Amino acid sequence: MPASHTVAVLLDDALLTLNRAVGVLRRRNVAIEHLALRPSDTAGVSRLTFVLKTDPATADRVVQQFHKIVGVRDVMLVATEDSTTEV
Amino acid sequence: MTEMLTGAQILCRTLVEGGVDVIFGYPGGAIMPFYHALGDHPRLRHILVRHEQAAAHAADGYARASGRVGVCVATSGPGATNLVTGLATAHMDSSPVVAITGQVPRAMIGRDAFQETDIIGMTLPITKQNYLVQDVAELAAVVREALAIAQEGRPGPVLIDVPKDVQNQKTAFLGLEPRGSGLDTRAPSPNPQDPDGVREAARLIAAAERPLLMVGHGVILGNAYTEVRALAEKTGIPVITTLLGISAFPDGHPLFLGMPGMHGEVRVNRAIQHADLIVGIGLRFDDRVTGNTAGFAPRARIVHIDLDRAEIGKNVPVAVGIVGDARDVTRRLAAVVQPRTCVPWLEEIREFTRPRAAAFRGDLAPETILASLYQATEGRCTIVTDVGQHQMWVAKLYPYREPNSHITSGGLGTMGFAVPAAMGVHLARPHETVWAISGDGGFQMNMAEIGTMVQEQLPVKMAIFNNGYLGMVRQWQQFFHGKRYSCTPIWSPDYVKLAEAYGIPGWRVKDAAELPDAVAQANDHAGPALVEFVIEQEANVYPMIPPGGSLSEPIETAPAAGD
Repeated sequence: MPASHTVAVLLDDALLTLNRAVGVLRRRNVAIEHLALRPSDTAGVSRLTFVLKTDPATADRVVQQFHKIVGVRDVMLVATEDSTTEV
Repeated sequence: MTEMLTGAQILCRTLVEGGVDVIFGYPGGAIMPFYHALGDHPRLRHILVRHEQAAAHAADGYARASGRVGVCVATSGPGATNLVTGLATAHMDSSPVVAITGQVPRAMIGRDAFQETDIIGMTLPITKQNYLVQDVAELAAVVREALAIAQEGRPGPVLIDVPKDVQNQKTAFLGLEPRGSGLDTRAPSPNPQDPDGVREAARLIAAAERPLLMVGHGVILGNAYTEVRALAEKTGIPVITTLLGISAFPDGHPLFLGMPGMHGEVRVNRAIQHADLIVGIGLRFDDRVTGNTAGFAPRARIVHIDLDRAEIGKNVPVAVGIVGDARDVTRRLAAVVQPRTCVPWLEEIREFTRPRAAAFRGDLAPETILASLYQATEGRCTIVTDVGQHQMWVAKLYPYREPNSHITSGGLGTMGFAVPAAMGVHLARPHETVWAISGDGGFQMNMAEIGTMVQEQLPVKMAIFNNGYLGMVRQWQQFFHGKRYSCTPIWSPDYVKLAEAYGIPGWRVKDAAELPDAVAQANDHAGPALVEFVIEQEANVYPMIPPGGSLSEPIETAPAAGD
C-alpha cells in the first residue's frame, strides 16, 4: 500500500555526495513528492529532506541504501502518512 | 619532512606508501605526467595491458587473490570509459579496486575538450566512492582515503579522476601521515553487533530439525573459513556454497552439499525447499540463488549474517538479521550454539541425490577435462573462470579444497573476465599456478591480453571450452525460444596458431586420450600456455531452474525435438 514517507538525511555539503544520494532514488525509480536541501546547524553539513510515495518495504530499502553512501552522516525515516490523509 | 612534489609524484608516492606494488594500466594524453613520474618509482611495477577493460579486471583479480587493493590506471575519455565494465564487475562482487584516471585540465572541463568524458558521473552508481581532484593539496589525502574506503567494511571500487594540470601542479608533500585526521567521510559504522541476535540465532539452530548453512563471498572476504567449519562441525549442519562462496568450505567434507540456485544440484535445491532454518553468512540471496523468491525455502526461517546492513531483508524476509563481520559473528555464534547433530536430515538429503544427467555424448566431457586438470595440478592451483556454461561446469565439478582458489565474475556475469583477471591473480600469487578457463565466446573478448602475458612474463595457463556456440545463450534458446539459435553460432580462429603467433605453446584436444599429456605439458610449461578443448556443440548445463521459476521445479532434460 503506497504511503508518504518522509526521510531526513544529514550529509556532507558536497555536490558529489548529493549526486550519489539522488542517484539512490533515481535507480530505484521511487516517486518523489517533495525534496528540499538546506544547510544544517553544523558547518559543512546539509540537511536533505524528501517525501517518497511508496510501500514501507521500499522506503526502508531506500533508507538502508542511504546509510551506505560515503558522506552521509545520518538517515532517519521521520514520518509515514497514509496516502488517504491530506498532508 | 616536507618536500615540494608534483601531483603525479604524489600519486606514485601515496600508492607506494599505501603498500601498492603493481598497477595495471594504459597511458594516454591526460595521464602522461603520472607515467612520467612512474619512471622514478621502481617499486610500482606497471603492467601494460592491451585494453583498459583488462586493467580493471586484472586489478580486480589481484584484489580477490591477495585481499589487498588492486590498482588500475587509464587516461581520460575512452581510457576511462573502457574501465567501466571492470569497475561494475568489482562493484557487484565487492572487490577492492582503485582506479586512477587522467582528466583534461581543469579549465577545459565541461567544454567537450578532446578526450573529455564525465567519468565521475558515469561511475557514480558502480563505485563505492569517487573523486574529481580539483586541488593538488587534496591529492595525497584523497588517495589515502580511496585506498582505505576500497577495503573498509564491504569492499568495493573507488575512482580518482585527476586533471592533467593537477598532476603537474606542485605542492608541499608530507610523508605518511595518519589517515582520518580530516573529515570523516566513511559510511556510518554498522549497528553495534547485537549479541541478542546471536543468541536468538543459536536458539533457532537448537530448535531446527532441518537446518542449512549457506555461505557466500563474505566468508572468503572476511577470512572466516575456520569459524564456518567450526560452526558446521559443532552442529552437524550441512553447508551450501554460493557461486562466489565456492572454496569457502572444502569440497569432500562430509557436510559439504554443493552450489544452490539456477544450476545447483537437485539435492541442494531440494534441501533448501525442505529446510526449516537457513543460516546465511556473507551472501545476498541473489536471484540466481533463490529463483522466484516467493517460492524460495517456503518452510524455512532465515538467519542472515552480513557486513552490509542494506543486504538484510533486501531480497528475502529474515527472522534474525545480524550486521557484522562474518568471522566475528560466526565465531561468536559457534561459541554459544549447543553441540548437536543432524543425522536424520543428512539421511533425508542423501535421498534427494539424483544421478547426474548424461549431458554429454563422446568422451571429452567437462568431468573428464576437470579431472585431468585436478590431476595435473594435484589440486593446487587457482582457477579463474569466465561466464557461461564452462563456468557452471567448473563450479559444479571441480573439487575445490583450498580457500579462495576459485575466482569468477558472479554478480555482473562479465564475459571476458577470466583471461585478464588471471593475470592479476598470478601477480598476487606468483608462486601458484593460475588457470584461466573460458568459453570460445568469452575468450575472444579479451584474447588480446595474451600479448600482455608475453610482454610482462605472466605464466597464465589458458583453457578454452570450444563448442562453437555462445553456449549458455544457445541453451536458453533451446529451452525457451523454440530452438532458434539466433546469432549464437560463433567462429573461432585456429587457437593453436594463435598461440604460435604469440610465441607460446598451444594444444588442441579433441578426445580424452589426448587430455592428460596436453594438460600436464601446459601446466608444467614455464610461461603462458593455451589448451583448447573441442567439446560437444550442443551440450547443456543440468539441472536448470528456469528464470523466475521455483527451486522445486528443475529442468533435467532437454525439451523433446520439435518443441
